[in-house]
Amino acid sequence: MQHLIVLPVVLPLLVGLILLRSRHGAMRTHRRVGVAATALLVVVATVMLTRAAGGEVTYYALGGWQPPFGIVLVLDRLSALMIMVTSVLALGCVIFACAGDDERGSNFHGLFQLQLMGINGAFLTGDLFNLFVFFEVLLLASYALLIHGGGKSRIQSAVHYVVLNLVGSSLFLISVGVLYGATGTLNMADMAVRLGELPAERTGLVAAGGLMLLVVFGLKAAILPLYFWLPRAYAAAPAPVAALFAIMTKVGIYAILRVYTLIFGEQAGGLEALERPWVWWLSLATMVVAGIGVLAARDLRLMVAYLVVISVGTLLAGIGMGSPEAVSALLYYLVHSTLITGALFLLAEMIGLQRGKAGTRLVKGRPLRDGRLLAGLFFVGAIAVAGLPPLSGAIGKALLLDAAAPWQQPWLWPILLGTGLATLIALSRAGSTLFWRSHDGEASGEALSRSRWLGAGGLLAASPLLVALAGPVSDYTRATADQLADPDVLVRAVLSDAGESP
Amino acid sequence: MESLYAITTGVLTACGLYLTLRGRTFPVVVGLTLLSYAVNLFLFSMGGLTTGGAAIIDGQSHFADPLPQALVLTAIVIGFAMTAFVVILAMRARSELGNDHVDGRKREEPHR
Amino acid sequence: MTLLWIALLPLLGVLVPAFTAQRGRRFCSLATALLPALALLMTLGQLPTLAAGETLRFAVDWVPTLGLELAFRLDGLSVLFNLLIMGIGLLILLYAHYYLSPEEPFGRFYAYLILFMASMVGIVMADNLLLLWLYWELTSLSSFLLIGFWSHRSDARKGARMALTVTGAGGLALLAGLLLLGDMVGSYDMQVVLESGSAILADPRYPWMLGLVLLGAFTKSAQFPFQFWLPHAMAAPTPVSAYLHSATMVKAGIFLMARLHPAIAGSELWTVVVSLIGMATMLYGAWFALMKTDLKGILAFSTVSHLGLITVLLGIGSPMAVLAALFHILNHATFKAALFMCAGIIDHETGTRELKRLGGLRRAMPITALLTTLAGAAMAGVPLFNGFLSKEMFFTETLETPVLGGLSWLLPVLATLGGVLSVAYSLRLVHAVFFKPAREAPPKSPHEPPWLMRAPVVVLVVICVLVGLAPVLAEGLLGLALTPVLGETMSFHLAIWHGFNLPLAMSGVALVAGVAMYWRHPDLQRFLKGFRPVDARLVFEGAMQRLSAWAEATLRGIDNGSQQRYVGLLLLASLVVVGFGLSGMPLLTGDQGNQPVDGVLLVGAGLLIFGGIATAATHRYRLISLLMLSVVGLVVSLTFARFSAPDLALTQLSVEVVTMILLMLALFFLPQHTSRETSAPRNVRDIVLASALGMAVASLNYAVLTRDTTSLSSFFLENSVSGGGGHNVVNVILVDFRGFDTLGEITVLALAGLAIFKLLRRLRLFMPHSDTEGRLWSPDRYPSILTSISMALLPLALLVSAFIFLRGHNMPGGGFIAGLVTAVAMILLYMARGVEWAQERLQFEYQPVAIAGVGIATLTGLGSWLFGEPFLTSAFGHFHLPLIGDFELATALLFDLGVYLAVVGATLMILANLGKVTTPHSPAKGAPASDENLSRSSKEKH
Repeated sequence: MQHLIVLPVVLPLLVGLILLRSRHGAMRTHRRVGVAATALLVVVATVMLTRAAGGEVTYYALGGWQPPFGIVLVLDRLSALMIMVTSVLALGCVIFACAGDDERGSNFHGLFQLQLMGINGAFLTGDLFNLFVFFEVLLLASYALLIHGGGKSRIQSAVHYVVLNLVGSSLFLISVGVLYGATGTLNMADMAVRLGELPAERTGLVAAGGLMLLVVFGLKAAILPLYFWLPRAYAAAPAPVAALFAIMTKVGIYAILRVYTLIFGEQAGGLEALERPWVWWLSLATMVVAGIGVLAARDLRLMVAYLVVISVGTLLAGIGMGSPEAVSALLYYLVHSTLITGALFLLAEMIGLQRGKAGTRLVKGRPLRDGRLLAGLFFVGAIAVAGLPPLSGAIGKALLLDAAAPWQQPWLWPILLGTGLATLIALSRAGSTLFWRSHDGEASGEALSRSRWLGAGGLLAASPLLVALAGPVSDYTRATADQLADPDVLVRAVLSDAGESP
Repeated sequence: MESLYAITTGVLTACGLYLTLRGRTFPVVVGLTLLSYAVNLFLFSMGGLTTGGAAIIDGQSHFADPLPQALVLTAIVIGFAMTAFVVILAMRARSELGNDHVDGRKREEPHR
Repeated sequence: MTLLWIALLPLLGVLVPAFTAQRGRRFCSLATALLPALALLMTLGQLPTLAAGETLRFAVDWVPTLGLELAFRLDGLSVLFNLLIMGIGLLILLYAHYYLSPEEPFGRFYAYLILFMASMVGIVMADNLLLLWLYWELTSLSSFLLIGFWSHRSDARKGARMALTVTGAGGLALLAGLLLLGDMVGSYDMQVVLESGSAILADPRYPWMLGLVLLGAFTKSAQFPFQFWLPHAMAAPTPVSAYLHSATMVKAGIFLMARLHPAIAGSELWTVVVSLIGMATMLYGAWFALMKTDLKGILAFSTVSHLGLITVLLGIGSPMAVLAALFHILNHATFKAALFMCAGIIDHETGTRELKRLGGLRRAMPITALLTTLAGAAMAGVPLFNGFLSKEMFFTETLETPVLGGLSWLLPVLATLGGVLSVAYSLRLVHAVFFKPAREAPPKSPHEPPWLMRAPVVVLVVICVLVGLAPVLAEGLLGLALTPVLGETMSFHLAIWHGFNLPLAMSGVALVAGVAMYWRHPDLQRFLKGFRPVDARLVFEGAMQRLSAWAEATLRGIDNGSQQRYVGLLLLASLVVVGFGLSGMPLLTGDQGNQPVDGVLLVGAGLLIFGGIATAATHRYRLISLLMLSVVGLVVSLTFARFSAPDLALTQLSVEVVTMILLMLALFFLPQHTSRETSAPRNVRDIVLASALGMAVASLNYAVLTRDTTSLSSFFLENSVSGGGGHNVVNVILVDFRGFDTLGEITVLALAGLAIFKLLRRLRLFMPHSDTEGRLWSPDRYPSILTSISMALLPLALLVSAFIFLRGHNMPGGGFIAGLVTAVAMILLYMARGVEWAQERLQFEYQPVAIAGVGIATLTGLGSWLFGEPFLTSAFGHFHLPLIGDFELATALLFDLGVYLAVVGATLMILANLGKVTTPHSPAKGAPASDENLSRSSKEKH
């Protein structure tokens, strides 16, 4: 069990390599291996979650080199939660993909596993440069998955996505460089300690580096002036990939949460909560613009992509608020929104498949073969994502609204509730067009295989589950927020036996 | 020397960034490559500039900071992978979209 | 626990129709009724306890961090509403059994209906503000489903969406209001809230809170100016209209005002706002009820009007007014549900609800005519019916309220006017349908419905009459309900006769004037022809479409799809934050200062700056730009060498070679020139932006360089030999200290190879025969000098790379550089001899090589698990072999081998696959460049 922490990285890596080893292997075997490995990852994540729930922070020193010298992976409540969400989402996506999306290009399952490796690594690492490396792993895997199956719109959106992210990577390196140059370390916990002893004249330098990092994470998370790559790319990506991408923006959010609570925590003096004002105002603006985007979208997939941006804005608002209550609320909302937006991408694909030429465009189309059932699922997803009772979105939003401090309320409440209303308007119009306003005639869409139903339905089922378990889940996120608010625990755990010994 | 070095990275960065703001894929790719050179120089210098330091451990005491070097090596290779991908993506985009504009449209066409 | 069951039984009942629908309609209807009936009985069973003055409460924790509890209460108010909801609900179920045609999906209909019932029960029993809100929104959703039940009809779809949008928006406002309320009190517990009335009134946020809560209540109860959705919700099947839009859902807003009455009502603001809005609603509704010609339309607007009446009473807020409000809730629910069902019967049996096509039905449907007349009389407020009693109380209260100061006379006058109108429309409804001769025949020949379909109406009308004759019957229930609303018990007596007084006179006026008004109705109609009311549905749809169009236009302004803008914004954002950080620095130059500059450095820097600027300046001439770029690359590698980093210099050099080959190859397939397309201002803007950020980066660089920091590196220098077994620290860091980075890095490389493989699949390229000046490419495809050199070079290069690889741990070199050297040599071979030639001789694929490389590295890392060490822990030892002598073997070498293979594999995957595109070996399986492609490309060049 001592190697538990590294498993979420090594397991997908190994499986991915095995899958990639045989390019001409039988598809069935690939599918079985892919699904089994992802299911195993869920098990691993569950074990990690139970271990982290107690509040103990543990780390894994790669190569046996103790921190701060070697690279460490850190398991705390936050990283365990993120791994859990990732693996559950991935399981839904990979099952869905087995219905045939994986055959439209080469190496789907192998790349999918490497994508998971990159995401998990980013969630676990305690080293700033290693975070960069994992960002690159997950980015390249996502490039490959984005263009899976080819086609004009995919290639076109990929150009924007790739170029922006390459510039972003350069900025990342510059900021890591500045932080290393100013503090002399790469280990985040160690950096936190060193910031506590930073000479006053260097605060400006560190602030510049730290805020540049915020730009990079903001690009990944898709905050306002930097989110433009997202809607078209997500709308163009193959459905299971788009669904998995729902977690990618959360990597950015996780990184902001991690870096600024740990490195720029209480001990950092004047640099404490460096990011907060920026994130707060920009997140509100993001919600507004994305709300407009939802209203403007004429295609279901594009609409869902804008819903992702709204969820990003909502989550970032939680970071901007800063209090442990807000962080706890945002974590609950993160679990909810990741799984639900993912499910909506899958659902949109299923709907599009049955509408023939009309696809996911919001125009009058022919009746759907499984209209009743799809409409039911869509209704559930729409309620959840719009934040209406009785599903998880309502609880998440209530938590966030409740966490707002008095001066934040006049800003957050109208915007959050307003985007909820925009979502409601847009989705009710979309649903009414898709399911109610159809041409006369026979439904003749493609039959949907069981794995599609299983993948999309399984993810949607998370929403009622999150409501039923809202108590325990929110207790966990609250504990996580408290742990983040007291970074000393992590610092002490990671640096406790920092020594010269290899 | 430090100021000269900094100015150099600054100029290279600026030139690279200028190119990434162009409207055709190839100059953008060139710009990204140039930018990665600049960034590598930048990162490299974060351990200080050491002239005549030893590269290997054989009893000498004057060393350059090895950590940034290792980081830059990683960055170079990753940068190469990214450049390779983006340039071939550019080719593919031209083949799919019929032109090499970054937005996949020719200038004359009205905005969508 | 009983409370929990009362609340949850209907919710469980939602599932019943799903399981019983296939067992036939009769069975399904009965089964569906079972659980609500049980809940109703259980509610009744609690009456004695309540009568003893107790309030039943039940709570379990749900989301403690939020203060959300699964908490229910049963007091008089809840009981009153529970009886209405479940009692009328069951009658509606019976009615719906006959109303829906057999081919309609009744199971689904029942499920929605019960879901709605369950959520209403939840609202009235919720003992937690947030729980109340959850149920509140649930009613909006279930009513959306019910209104849109006949989804093939456009009016149903639009009506459903309108109702959802309005009530949903109100619900969101309500949430904000309730959160604020909870914040003011410090708890979402209903009991606590109800007991903190004075604190709430004193809070500065009270007006906001009140506004938000009332917004929720008014939208739900269709109060002015949100009344417009209700008439369009009538597109629903009639049982739904009878249930939701007369008896229950629209009463939710009223309920909320009653429920929170002790906590939020006691202010002047409340009285003025609520009673005036109520009055406006009452008159508006009554007026349009008179104008409508659709049976359900009349009823819908009259519902709006009566809801307004109740709102006025709650606004006045005196104990008797509240009593009157509760009484009218009860009365209105009975007579209006009855009337809706009658309208449904008429619709069902004649095929139309249009007044113009109805008339004289008393002959064909005498019993229905009687029932409708009785219920209509109750609605009009005719003495001896229940409606009369509550209306009389209403008149009394309007006379007694001083709320508007000098204008207080206005309320009774308007109230009387409302009474007049309500008499007129009630009379019209009854007379026009049953007594006036028909102008044209209805689509179906009318006859009486089955008696069971009529039974619910009979029950309700009997209640109307009974209560009207003996109001004492209602006293007990009303007394119970009154206590929680007032916060105290009050004794009262309901009587039919109060003597000759002003309210009686007002009733008289209303009756007489109302009859007169109906008598002159045709004149009125004619006069009003000019004022056709706007169709709210059209207005709403138009607003929605404008909203959508506005959103599109706005979005296009923000996001124009241009990458140049996106990148510009990214750079601008970085510039802003870096500028912000740097502005906080007292001094850019640190304590270290500058080292002296020598000539070599000057030349190097000059070359770099020149190369960089030239690359940018010549970007339109792509080949030249590329050459300039290669100059920069070379000088960068020299720079690394100059500053004591030979490993970097070697790596940079070899990467540089591969990159250039790649870019040249790519350029072969891309246009050679960029046409001038950027406007001058834009160019200037880009230059300014790029330079500014460049300066910022230079400042950062300078600031760091002139400061000294104790870094981790001494550890690496000290432990490299002892811990990592290597003398080349950089290599030891790469394969040991930070081997995890390297593992990620070669994964990236392999991924790039795979991704490019995907990109090249089915790629159709056009092959230029000539360059842009029209010169043909050299016909000599494989130059002989290059051929012979490359042949000779390959073994040499392999030898060199083996050498570099092996010494890497102790001397500059290592897997990366060795891999790149090997790759370069092989690529040279490809270039010299052509892909076909190389392909024949190099009979292996590169993907497995790259994957194997990463695999070896991973497995090496995993190997340490066998020894109980963490992933990637290295081991090394010195061995002695005869002849060769002492040598060192480290697992790091194995790891480095993985790196080597990954680099070779991935690089060749990229380049060789790209090369293959140009030949019949292309992954596209030899798809020739199509004409379409050719012409497209050649067109573009001009």
